[in-house]
Amino acid sequence: MTVDQMSTVADRPRATASAGRTRSAGRAGATMTARRHRAFYMFVAPWIVGFLLLTIVPMAYALWLSFTTFDGISPNWHYVGLGNYRELMNDSVTWDSLGRAGLFAVVSVPLSIVAGLGLAVLVNRPIRARGLFRTLLYLPAVVPPVGAGIAFKNLFDQNAGATNGVLTFFGFDAIGWLADPYARYVLIMTVLWGAGNIMIISLAGLQDVPRELHEAARIDGASAWRTFRSITVPLLSPVLLFQTVTGVIASVQTIMPMLLAPLATTGGLTTVPQSNYTYMIHVFSQYFALGRYGYASALLWVLFVLILIATGLIFRFTSGVVFYNVDPEAKK
Amino acid sequence: MRPHAGAPMSRRRFLSLSAAGAVGGAAALSGCAMQVSSGVGGGSGETITMMVKADDITPDLVQQALKDTGIAIKRVDFDITKLIAMLTSGNPPDLVRGVGAVDAAYFAAREVMEDLDPYFAKSAVLKRDDLDPVNDLWRFDGRTQGKGPRYGMAKDFSQDSMYWYNTSAFDRHGVAYPAELEPTTYEEWLETAQRLVQRSKGQTSLFGGTYNGLLKATLMSTLTASAGGSLFSDDFSRIDFTTPEARKALGWYIEYCKLKVGASPIMPDPNGWDGPTYQAGRLAMCNSGYWMGGMIATDEKLAEVSRLAPTPVFEGGPRVSACQAGTGLWMPKKAPHKDAAWRIFEWYFGEAPAKARASGGWGIPTLKSLRPLMPAKAEHQKRVLKVQENELKHFSVVAFSPYTTGDSFEALFNQVAPAAMTGEISVDTLAGRLNSVLNEQLKRGKEQVG
Repeated sequence: MTVDQMSTVADRPRATASAGRTRSAGRAGATMTARRHRAFYMFVAPWIVGFLLLTIVPMAYALWLSFTTFDGISPNWHYVGLGNYRELMNDSVTWDSLGRAGLFAVVSVPLSIVAGLGLAVLVNRPIRARGLFRTLLYLPAVVPPVGAGIAFKNLFDQNAGATNGVLTFFGFDAIGWLADPYARYVLIMTVLWGAGNIMIISLAGLQDVPRELHEAARIDGASAWRTFRSITVPLLSPVLLFQTVTGVIASVQTIMPMLLAPLATTGGLTTVPQSNYTYMIHVFSQYFALGRYGYASALLWVLFVLILIATGLIFRFTSGVVFYNVDPEAKK
Repeated sequence: MRPHAGAPMSRRRFLSLSAAGAVGGAAALSGCAMQVSSGVGGGSGETITMMVKADDITPDLVQQALKDTGIAIKRVDFDITKLIAMLTSGNPPDLVRGVGAVDAAYFAAREVMEDLDPYFAKSAVLKRDDLDPVNDLWRFDGRTQGKGPRYGMAKDFSQDSMYWYNTSAFDRHGVAYPAELEPTTYEEWLETAQRLVQRSKGQTSLFGGTYNGLLKATLMSTLTASAGGSLFSDDFSRIDFTTPEARKALGWYIEYCKLKVGASPIMPDPNGWDGPTYQAGRLAMCNSGYWMGGMIATDEKLAEVSRLAPTPVFEGGPRVSACQAGTGLWMPKKAPHKDAAWRIFEWYFGEAPAKARASGGWGIPTLKSLRPLMPAKAEHQKRVLKVQENELKHFSVVAFSPYTTGDSFEALFNQVAPAAMTGEISVDTLAGRLNSVLNEQLKRGKEQVG
């Protein structure tokens, strides 16, 4: 018997015990993993149940409705297959409203991001009463949209609004801000007014930009603008992408035109001026004014698909300019 | 001692449950045989659901109802989406708020309203010969509004094409007041509004007058009736704005909007209605009926200078003075507590709340017997009442189509008409476009009703 064999033999009982421990440890590990999985699913179960009941079921119901002429109350509604979708394709009002929503997104999203980022840069500087400025600038974002709508209606009223008061004081003629064609500008102003929301997110992003990079750039003689353009913006690019995607989704779904109309209720949607008659107002109008649940559901499903496509395109076209500062180890 | 769950049933308990079952069964059977209450006292101890706005029944009135009738009221905020959901799920409210002028025919045609004729026939509170003609807005015979069974009742009403004017605005401009009992013409009304309006640098400090009606649907149909025609075809399945009468009505309204003498879709009032502007002394003539007197009376100075004027007429046209709303209550066909609901219906329309409304001056009572309660103490109240009483002689129901809602008419009108108000398209082009979009909606409605 060789020494090796001896040791092997001598070690055998210990090895067997060790193998037993490994197996039991393995079983314990598997049990632990199963327990962890079970805990995970138990924790997420409320959300999943909520998601199924409050999101998937209503969406599926709306999809079903979109194939019908259901109006909520009439006895003779029926299945029309793709009839609503065909009608939608030939409905100029639908396409006009979609165009207005798209234009609103194209104008308001970049403007609000630039405004929010600008404010974030300003209040990120070491100035006196910085906290107060941050609070004041964020304040409009906290105001409920209905309140904002009422404030803007009174501010921009043609005959008694402060805006026209200032204009006429300086010798200009008053403008009918809340009617065509100016109503669209007031709508964009409401978005800019709420830019504090974007400011807060951008501010958080700015504070994540490593200070040493800025210092290195300064030592290398880079100007403030160059530093901002080449260091700050690339490092903020994931934040900006997030704001773009959520901004586009929110802006095509905005119901602010309704809140700016004389009656800030569902009745108000019938008085929305044409320049603010965006896609979502059209949807509301079809649902609640015209009682066309089927057609309005088709409109919503088309919007859902268009948003998916728009989001995909944004990701596709920004893939080369968005930089994720992620620790490679953290990916595992 | 109360037995615990699952314990065998005692003989006494079995007998008492059997007795209760027998009584319940008998009650259910008798309910099947006679679903109409005798009127007073029905449904005591029950709870009914009322879908109304907060102002329609205050918490104090809810308490009062319980005291007066023994019936508890659960108020649900009026919301058309919620109502449809409740109706389709088979669990509707027991009483629902509605605007008689536009809702009655629409819901009745869809057979979701309870025919209240058998209840009215037996009621000692709401007698048919005491009902004001405005309640005919809540009748529908399957084709025409104003005839056939009653499906609801108005809580109070006004002749909404009448208008209030502020004498101080007229005095300032040296413009003669409108005649007290004789109507001015719509054309003259517009001329007066132009003379009264005050503008500077695109801002209006004094509006000459507003004339938007309560709903575009009822405004356009009553204006057309005033021109001597009808907006709808005989079977209410088509609309025609190109008839001479409808064209005249439409042309007048578009002219009113173009002149910008008052609020319109192209010069909206941020308040959503004329009241605050009139109250602020910035509106010379205000197209609101008697009901606005309730608001005016809260300000003595304003009440002193305010006058109510008869509904205008078109030159050569008939004198038509309709109610454009007739807001009230109806009972869904599948209401779970019909007898209790009817008892509250009686109480609401004929007892304490109706009397309080009648004396409040916010509307004309819908029971003729309550008319003496209308406020007539102060000088200004007497003046208003004299004009109003004379105007009642010219009341008529202008029927609306059961194939569309007031909201859908409003939405489609406001979508198309502003182009004509800004002069981009002619009134004739507008008439054609309105015919196109509104007839499409009516066609859909007719298909759905069957």
